[in-house]
Amino acid sequence: MEQRLSNTWRMTINEKKFIKTSLLADLRVDGRRPFDYRRLIIKFGSEDGSSEVQLGQTHVMGVVTSQLVQPYRDRPNEGTLSIYTEFSPMADPSFEAGRPGESAVELGRIIDRGLRESMAVDTESLCVVTGKLVWSIRIDIHILDNGGNLVDAANIAALAALSTFRRPECTLGGEDGQELIVHPPEVREPVPLIIHHLPIAVTFGFIGEENIVVIDPTYFEEAVMGGSMTATLNTNGDVCAIQKAGGVGVLPSVIMQCLRLASVKAGDITNIIKNAVKSFNTERSLRKIKRHNSSVIDVSETAQKVDVKFSTNHVNRLKLSEDSRVAQGNGMEVDGQISQKEGTSKRDSSAKSFIGGPSSWDPHSKGIDPDALRASFASRVVLAPTEKLEDSKVDEPTDIEPNQPIVDDNSYISPKEATNTKSKTNEEKTLIDAIKPKHRRRRKASSQH
Amino acid sequence: MAIAEPTNNSPSYIDKLVVPGDVVLDLSSMSNQTIKLGGGLRQDCDSITAMKAGMLRFSKPNKYWVESSQKRYVPSAGDAVLGIVVDTKAENFLIDIKGPALAYLPVLAFEGGTRRNIPKFEVGTLIYVRVVKANIGMNPDLSCMDASGKAAEFGPLKDGYMFETSTGLSRMLLSSPACPVLEALGKKLSFEIAVGLNGRVWVNAAAPSTVILVSNAIMNSETLTSVQQKLMVDKLLQRTQ
Repeated sequence: MEQRLSNTWRMTINEKKFIKTSLLADLRVDGRRPFDYRRLIIKFGSEDGSSEVQLGQTHVMGVVTSQLVQPYRDRPNEGTLSIYTEFSPMADPSFEAGRPGESAVELGRIIDRGLRESMAVDTESLCVVTGKLVWSIRIDIHILDNGGNLVDAANIAALAALSTFRRPECTLGGEDGQELIVHPPEVREPVPLIIHHLPIAVTFGFIGEENIVVIDPTYFEEAVMGGSMTATLNTNGDVCAIQKAGGVGVLPSVIMQCLRLASVKAGDITNIIKNAVKSFNTERSLRKIKRHNSSVIDVSETAQKVDVKFSTNHVNRLKLSEDSRVAQGNGMEVDGQISQKEGTSKRDSSAKSFIGGPSSWDPHSKGIDPDALRASFASRVVLAPTEKLEDSKVDEPTDIEPNQPIVDDNSYISPKEATNTKSKTNEEKTLIDAIKPKHRRRRKASSQH
Repeated sequence: MAIAEPTNNSPSYIDKLVVPGDVVLDLSSMSNQTIKLGGGLRQDCDSITAMKAGMLRFSKPNKYWVESSQKRYVPSAGDAVLGIVVDTKAENFLIDIKGPALAYLPVLAFEGGTRRNIPKFEVGTLIYVRVVKANIGMNPDLSCMDASGKAAEFGPLKDGYMFETSTGLSRMLLSSPACPVLEALGKKLSFEIAVGLNGRVWVNAAAPSTVILVSNAIMNSETLTSVQQKLMVDKLLQRTQ
């Protein structure tokens, strides 16, 4: 207890009083005026997609990474963007390791809202195969030193990291044209993300009884202020998000004034980010030229060979044909049922029409004959080795044991993707579950084999 | 050959860099002499060894200590520091002096202090105190009196602004031919300053702008040479006038 007491930072009455009284004279303790931003320095790491932002004493690092995942059901053609924050106890003794505090959650939410909900990053361009594979972009924000106004610094770090991030190029290829090849950066130039606009967060603090507005509050000012407001804007003056924290009430006219100020600051900060990114990119291309000169690979001639080699060595191989069946599973089951009953051969076309749409769920809720469902699963097994779905075979599903069939699709998929498929099957399970719990048990057992 | 040399003339260590484990002084060679040890030194029988890396200092009659610059303060007896009142107990005030443990300031350790007139300090009051005892494993003891029992400038500091620096900078500010920053600032401005060896500095002046100017000048001066410090101060003064 006492150890904790001696390690916590505390503020004297003198400081609190001085900050407030000097603000009455339009002065701030670090020599700024109320509407001055601190000096902003943006640095980039040696790898694409990492940035380090210094805003006065505040120090934040942003790292962007990407991964291929299965998209969400309701957004089959959109990639995902997620933000994670890490508050190191090194930055501020009040941060606890591994336990995100209130401020950590709030910071993550503000940045998330500004970036994701304003559609700053084009998520549709992250789609690789609709409904099956999309890029998931993960932004990690590490707070290295807390000198106040973490929100703005973290937001800038995230934007800077996103603007320099490049995801590996990938194409569909292989023998059947369904195999995914992720090209390593040596072979094909990685592609940058499409960023429509830069939403800049600008934080205001309200200090003292008079609610004096200051921009970019420092650590000390944050300790004194009664409330704060973060406005996220882009250069066009679109307000992407507003967050008002603290108990103090603010007049609408003050908010409008803040927004006007914020739009000016957002323009300045955007310029700083863009210039930093531009200089990073020129440096990067210079580096690249060097690399090509020294490299032995003659790109034009051996491109094909290199492609193949890399794809076997360290490239995700995905049997998309197998994968696709899992993804479309529910749609197709229903389909099979229809084709059996009606004897029609619309399977292929209707399977396509069922992809991802909410309509594909409807038949389940109506309740299906369990035998027919089992049969439809069985039919899928018969179809597994062949590429195209043939209706002639669907007609005789009775030959197959109804118990064995539920497919172990996981085995076809590379281990990297195994986790995704697992969640996938889980989703399926829960839905089938709703129809017949017994069925699920059998399914589980078979998938464990 | 050269290695055997330093042990003979140990005073050569003064104003030189020492690292932990260096035998700084040999007591057997300097009999019937009283010496005072400051921070960073310890006695093992007849030898005085350094416990931290830094510059070995010696002040005229018989004081030795190791000086280094760091954020955290290691309390050592006799240092004047700036503390913040954290809590009030029946016998002691709990004071934060930037050390590894909170320090105790006995309620009677004031000039003319009796049970009747115990001072009242709000939590967060800044006080200028002296470290009396600083034993390893114990909370340091503080006092608001000098050795002769006089108040001598110690006590609570009102108004003004307090900021934190490294211990190295605070020593520099206290050095005897006045530090160039303070000298340059003092020529043009009038202000009050209290420097604690724990790296806390308090500045007060009539106008808040003066306080801000002085405190920023001091904070910027940490890595500058004396000429640079003077230039920096001149520039700051020009900008404000």
